[in-house]
Amino acid sequence: MASGRREILNLYKAMLRESQKFTSYNYREYALQRIRDSFREGKTLSGEEVQEKLKVARDSLQIIKRQVVIGQLYSSPNLVIEK
Amino acid sequence: MASLTKSLRYAALFKPLSVLIPRATTTGLFHTLNMRETNLNIASLQTTELKPVGCMRSYSEKAPLTLDLIEQRVLLVLRLYDKINPDKLKVESHFMQDLGLDSLDHVEVIMAMEDEFGFEIPDGDAEKLLRPQDIIRYVADKEDIYE
Repeated sequence: MASGRREILNLYKAMLRESQKFTSYNYREYALQRIRDSFREGKTLSGEEVQEKLKVARDSLQIIKRQVVIGQLYSSPNLVIEK
Repeated sequence: MASLTKSLRYAALFKPLSVLIPRATTTGLFHTLNMRETNLNIASLQTTELKPVGCMRSYSEKAPLTLDLIEQRVLLVLRLYDKINPDKLKVESHFMQDLGLDSLDHVEVIMAMEDEFGFEIPDGDAEKLLRPQDIIRYVADKEDIYE
């Protein structure tokens, strides 16, 4: 599973990087936290389950990419809690 | 459509009139008209040119790095990472064995380093950077800094 491990880490990094591009504070923080949590949850899984989760993650990455673009089209001013 | 043909017909009616006007005056008229147009164009051009420039570019080099500075910045980033105990952190401590991080945390540490130093670290290299020391050495190599 050496290549699988690398793939998972790649996907993790790609998803975090993509989520950082959310213009909306709430979406951004939610996405980052959700990605961290769900990858950590999947730590104990093995075999088929991992592949299933990977598929979900790959689909989610595509959704994040699309939503980031849409979010940029309809962006709102920064919240007070952002610097 | 009907109105168009009608207006065309009127135009045809008026055409002989314009022939009656001496040639010199018509050309003169057109000339002044053209002049006015070009003047207008120039004026509008000038106003567009005089618009205040919105963005300025200032070119400058980034601050020169030294090995000490790199070490300070690497350690600062690691200290600010919430899963690392700042008391245990040393330059030669291993991320997984000494500091208790897992591979996902390691990815995040590498991402933080990318953000800090402003260049991308390929996955193949990132796997080998398991101690702060390795990161410092790697950044120094990338930025061409030697003793």
